[in-house]
Amino acid sequence: MVRLPYVTALTTLFSYGLLFAFGQLRDFFRRILDAGKSSNLKGYAPICLGLEDFYTRRLYLRIQDCFGRPIASAPDAWFDVVERYSNDSNKTLHRTTKTSKCLNLGSYNYLGFAAADEYCTPRVIESLKKYSASTCSVRVDGGNTKLHVELEELVARFVGKPAAILFGMGYVTNSAIIPALVGKGGLIISDSLNHNSIVNGARGSGATVRVFQHNNPAHLEEVLREQIAGGQPRTHRPWKKIIVIVEGIYSMEGELCKLPEVIAVCKKYKAYTYLDEAHSIGAVGKTGRGVCELLGVDPADVDIMMGTFTKSFGSCGGYIAASKEIIDHLKHICPAHIYATSMSPPAVQQVISAIKVILGEDGSNRGAKKLAQIRENSNFFRSELQKMGFEVLGDNDSPVMPIMLYNPAKIPAFSRECLRQHVAVVTVAFPATPLLLARARICISASHSREDLIKGLEVISKVGDLVGIKYFPVEHEKTASVEKLKKLQ
Amino acid sequence: MGRRAGSYPYYVEAAPPVDVNKNTEWFMYPGVWTTYILLLFFAWLLVLSVSACSPGIAWTVVNLAHFAITYHFFHWKKGTPFAADDQGIYNRLTWWEQIDNGQQLTRNRKFLTVVPVVLYLIASHLTDYKQPMLFLNTIAVLVLVVAKLPNMHKVRIFGINADI
Repeated sequence: MVRLPYVTALTTLFSYGLLFAFGQLRDFFRRILDAGKSSNLKGYAPICLGLEDFYTRRLYLRIQDCFGRPIASAPDAWFDVVERYSNDSNKTLHRTTKTSKCLNLGSYNYLGFAAADEYCTPRVIESLKKYSASTCSVRVDGGNTKLHVELEELVARFVGKPAAILFGMGYVTNSAIIPALVGKGGLIISDSLNHNSIVNGARGSGATVRVFQHNNPAHLEEVLREQIAGGQPRTHRPWKKIIVIVEGIYSMEGELCKLPEVIAVCKKYKAYTYLDEAHSIGAVGKTGRGVCELLGVDPADVDIMMGTFTKSFGSCGGYIAASKEIIDHLKHICPAHIYATSMSPPAVQQVISAIKVILGEDGSNRGAKKLAQIRENSNFFRSELQKMGFEVLGDNDSPVMPIMLYNPAKIPAFSRECLRQHVAVVTVAFPATPLLLARARICISASHSREDLIKGLEVISKVGDLVGIKYFPVEHEKTASVEKLKKLQ
Repeated sequence: MGRRAGSYPYYVEAAPPVDVNKNTEWFMYPGVWTTYILLLFFAWLLVLSVSACSPGIAWTVVNLAHFAITYHFFHWKKGTPFAADDQGIYNRLTWWEQIDNGQQLTRNRKFLTVVPVVLYLIASHLTDYKQPMLFLNTIAVLVLVVAKLPNMHKVRIFGINADI
C-alpha cells in the first residue's frame, strides 16, 4: 500500500504516455523508412518481434547510465564506482579509468560479509588451496566434498529444519525446485509480487498458477476457497496438492511477509507453504534466522524453506530446507542437483564461516554485534527518511527501504545527482516495478557506521529537495535531533 | 509545487493488483481514468488551437483519432512489449483480451466502453448531427463498441488479424 499525491499520479501517467507516444511515433517513421530497404530475411520469419524490445530501445537506453554501473572494489560500506561517458545520448557507454569513492547504499551486503572478513577470508583462501576453485562436476558425480555435506547440515540446523540441499545458483533454487515439487494436477498460489524466479518456476511446473493480492492473507483465503471448491480446470476433480509461495522480505518493497496469518490460512485449508527467504535469511531475526524467528513462527510449520547465500553471507548459491523425505526426493529428481555444477568449494567455505560467525561459533560475539548493528542502522535510517518527508516502503527491521520517486524524469535525476555527491543508490522502474511506482531502493548494511548513514541522509535530503520527491510534510522539530546527534559524535 | 502551511495535496493509495501482466497492470492504479479523460480534453484543446475550427469539428477529429489509436493499440496489436518475462503466453491476445486477466464486465472495461460513446454524443451534438461528421462518428463508435463486447472475446471475424 503506497500513498501518493493524486497530482503526482496524473503527471506520472502523463509522462509515460508521452514517452510511449513519441516512441511509437519514431517506430512508425522507422518502419516507413525501412520499408524501402530490401529485406535479407529471404523468406524467414524475423527471430524477434519489434514490439518485444520496444521498452529497451525507446525507454531504457535513454537512461541506461543509471543502471548496471560497474564498480572497481569490493561492495563494502564504501566502494569505487567506475566513471563512464557517452557520445551518442547513452546508446553506448564507455568506461574511463577514473573511479569515484561512493557510499554504498545499493548492495545487499546486509551483514558486511561482501568484503574481506577476519574470520572468513583466511578459511576461504585455505579451502581454495585445498579444493581448487571449482569441482567441475555435479553433486551426484565428483562434485561432492566434505564442505558441501557440512554446509547442508549447518544450514538445516541454522534454519531449524531436519535436512537441507544446496544449489550453485540462487535463481535456479526457485526455478528448478518448484517444477520438482508440483506438476500437472497441482495448484500453486503465488503472491502477486513474488520474484521472477518463482514466477518462471511456477510456469515451468505445469501446475495451475493462481495469484493472490500482495501480502493479503484475506485474499489468499478467498482464492484458496474458490479454487478448492472449483477443483481442477474442466474436470473439476480435487487438486493433487496445493502450494502457497510467499517471500520473507519482498526485495522491491522491503515488506515482511505476514507469515503467521498465511500459515494459519494454509493449515486451515491443508495447503503446503513455501517460504522464499532470499533476502531475509541472515538479515532479520535476533540470531539471523529470518522471518520465522522475527515473527515468532515455528520452522516446523513451514513446509519448504528456501534461501540464498548471495546476500547476507557474501557468497553465491541457495538452499532448500525441509523434511528429510522431501530433501531425498529432491536429490533424486531435481535437475539442478543432478546436472548442474556443484557450488564452488571456496564459496561453500565462505557460507560456512559466515554462519559460524552469526551463530557465535567463531569464539567471539561479532555475529551478534553485526545483527544488532543492521537492525539499529535500518530502523534509524528508515525513521529519519520518513521524518524528512519521503514515502518509504517496507517494515521496521527490514534492511530494504524503497524511496518512492514516481515520475520517470526523477529516476535519472535522483540517481545522477546522488552519484555526483558520492552516494551510490539503485533506482528501479517499470517493468521491474509497477508503472506508477518507480523508486530508489536503499539497502542498509551492518558495515555502515553512524557517520556513513548521516552523510547518506544529508545527501538524500539535499537531492530530495532538489528533485522534489518529499511528498509528505517534514517533521521540523525532530530534524533538530539529528543536529544534536551530530554534535554528540 | 510550492508547499504552504495548511495546504497539502490530496493523497491516494495504490495497492499492487493481482494482475501480473506488465502490459495491463498499469491500468489498475489510481489516476488512470482521470489521465485518460484529461488527455482527451488536452487533445481537443490542441486541435482547437492548431486548426482554428469549430469546437464540434475539433471533437470529431478527437473522436476519430481516439478511434484510430485505441483500435490499433487495444484491439489490433497483440502481445506485450515485455515478452521476456511471460514466455509468450500473451502473443495471441490483444490488449483488450489481456486486461483484467480476461475477466469481462469489469469496471475498467465498462469505463473504456463508455468513453467512445460519450465522445460520440459530444461530437455529434456539437456538429448538430450534420453529415458527413455524423456518419464518420457513428462508424467509429460502432466499431469500437462492438469490438469491446464480451461476445467478441478472442473472436477473429473471417480470420482477420488471426495470425501472430
